[in-house]
Amino acid sequence: MSIIEVENLKYRYPDLTDLVLDDLSFSVEKGECLGIVGENTAGKSTLCYALAGLIPHFYKGAYGGKVTVNGLVVREHEIAEIVENIGLVFENPFSQMTGAKKTVYEEVAFGLENLGLDRKEMHRRIEQYLKLLDVFGLKDKNPFDLSGGQMQRVAIASVLAMEPDVLILDEPTSQLDPQGSREVFEVIEQLTEKGMTIILVEHKMEQIAQYADRVLLLHQGRQVALDTPEKIFSRPDLKGFGVTPPVVTNISKALNVRYPDSELFPVTIEAFKRLEEAK
Amino acid sequence: MNTMTLYVEKDSPVHRLDPLVKLLYVFASIALTYILPEPLFIAGVLFVTLLLLVIGKVFRNSLPILTLSMFLIFSLVIVQGFFHPDNVTELFSIGPLVFYEEGLYVALVLVLRVLVMIGSFSVLILTTSPDEMVERLIKKGMSPRIGHVILSVLQLIPQMRATTSKITDAQRSRGMETEGSMLTRIKAFFPLMGPVVLNSLNETKERSIALEMRGFGSSTKKTFLNEEKQYPYNKLLAGIIIAIVILGIVWRVMV
Ligand SMILES: Nc1ncnc2c1ncn2[C@@H]1O[C@H](COP(=O)(O)OP(=O)(O)O)[C@@H](O)[C@H]1O
Ligand SMILES: [Mg+2]
Repeated sequence: MSIIEVENLKYRYPDLTDLVLDDLSFSVEKGECLGIVGENTAGKSTLCYALAGLIPHFYKGAYGGKVTVNGLVVREHEIAEIVENIGLVFENPFSQMTGAKKTVYEEVAFGLENLGLDRKEMHRRIEQYLKLLDVFGLKDKNPFDLSGGQMQRVAIASVLAMEPDVLILDEPTSQLDPQGSREVFEVIEQLTEKGMTIILVEHKMEQIAQYADRVLLLHQGRQVALDTPEKIFSRPDLKGFGVTPPVVTNISKALNVRYPDSELFPVTIEAFKRLEEAK
Repeated sequence: MNTMTLYVEKDSPVHRLDPLVKLLYVFASIALTYILPEPLFIAGVLFVTLLLLVIGKVFRNSLPILTLSMFLIFSLVIVQGFFHPDNVTELFSIGPLVFYEEGLYVALVLVLRVLVMIGSFSVLILTTSPDEMVERLIKKGMSPRIGHVILSVLQLIPQMRATTSKITDAQRSRGMETEGSMLTRIKAFFPLMGPVVLNSLNETKERSIALEMRGFGSSTKKTFLNEEKQYPYNKLLAGIIIAIVILGIVWRVMV
């Protein structure tokens, strides 16, 4: 069975008239990295909320269909149970700090305290994930005294420490400076190499092309396509969905550099180079 | 990081006391000023309170609050001294205004009581970190949600300050003047208010989502990273405070 299964998911926020998620069906395999792309207000964040159980438990509204994570039907379990299966990190690092804790170390502990773990296990996990995210050296600092990139890595550590099987990252670098973004993407690269199941919402298509195994293209709450990055970014109608392909794909289109016997263009520089050299 | 609290981080025996004992002291000392409204007795309570401030190394920090209340106190004395309904015994007069002993007595009790209130609250607030206080209350069964609301309210000011500087930077980089004369600053202030408030509201919403995702709503029994802090003379001190209050009540009834 797939780790995530979405069947005919429909959702409308309370007091809205239009569906924000309109009949989505897809599944995600264990160890896969699924990219989600689409213009602003396409419903990407809303889909993340639905996967994490915030919809329908935190956000009410009209809900239809079925979301299953790790065999757990999201609608039938409370958020606190779901968080041990799927974690969510979003844009603003500042608002992901609880504000209840004085040090980075204690900040990571917050979620573990809520899970009711014993102290030994808490210390083990906090140490492990602070080191994984390369922020162990900051453990005694106040979370609010960190840079954006550091804060976001603490946020990721805090979520990972709850040891979910799936990690959702909703535009994790869009509020960070280039240095901070680099730091976060290095972590994402490591996690994908470790075989973590990741769902990545991102506006920087270069990153989607690099990390995603498959890409879900959303438009006005509808699922336009779910395919490999090459297939998605080679679509001639991509502009209509507010998505600009990676620069290298655009250049390839201009130079007509494609995969042999296909309509597909390369989406990463490495692939581009390989095709150029093969010519 | 600065918060909205007045907590003064120092190492003193008063800092090491259980926040709940200090809270108990606040209630007890105020109650005592009502149980035995004798100037001499209340002065005794005030003395103990001020002593705690000195031992807690926060006497200086409490001075601004105490001084501010002096103004209020001074007007109390004058009003009561001149106009209290029980006034009979004349003390002295200024022109047509006569100053009476009874009024002065009532005023004295009031003054001392206000000082005790401010003093004992200062002991609690100046020597107790809000985290410790909230964690202690949660362990005693207060809902973590309420605890979190208290803490987040205390974070509001530094949070807004951070947002303000972020937005000011953005406005400045778009060529808006934000420094200089008072008028320029005031002009810069108003367009700032909207974004600051909106941003804070948004941040609050986002933070509550983040909290949910950290298992905040969990019904499993919470554990705590930090070992329960030991407060050595906890029970003894609480016992003494309660005993004194009971003694006060007995005294009041008997005499
Ligand atoms: N809390 C909410 N209440 C009502 N409508 C919302 C809420 N959050 C998002 N929406 C609406 O849902 C639509 C999809 O938003 P969102 O999922 O945030 O899109 P994206 O993340 O792709 O930019 C938008 O039209 C937005 O206005
Ligand atoms: Mg979004």
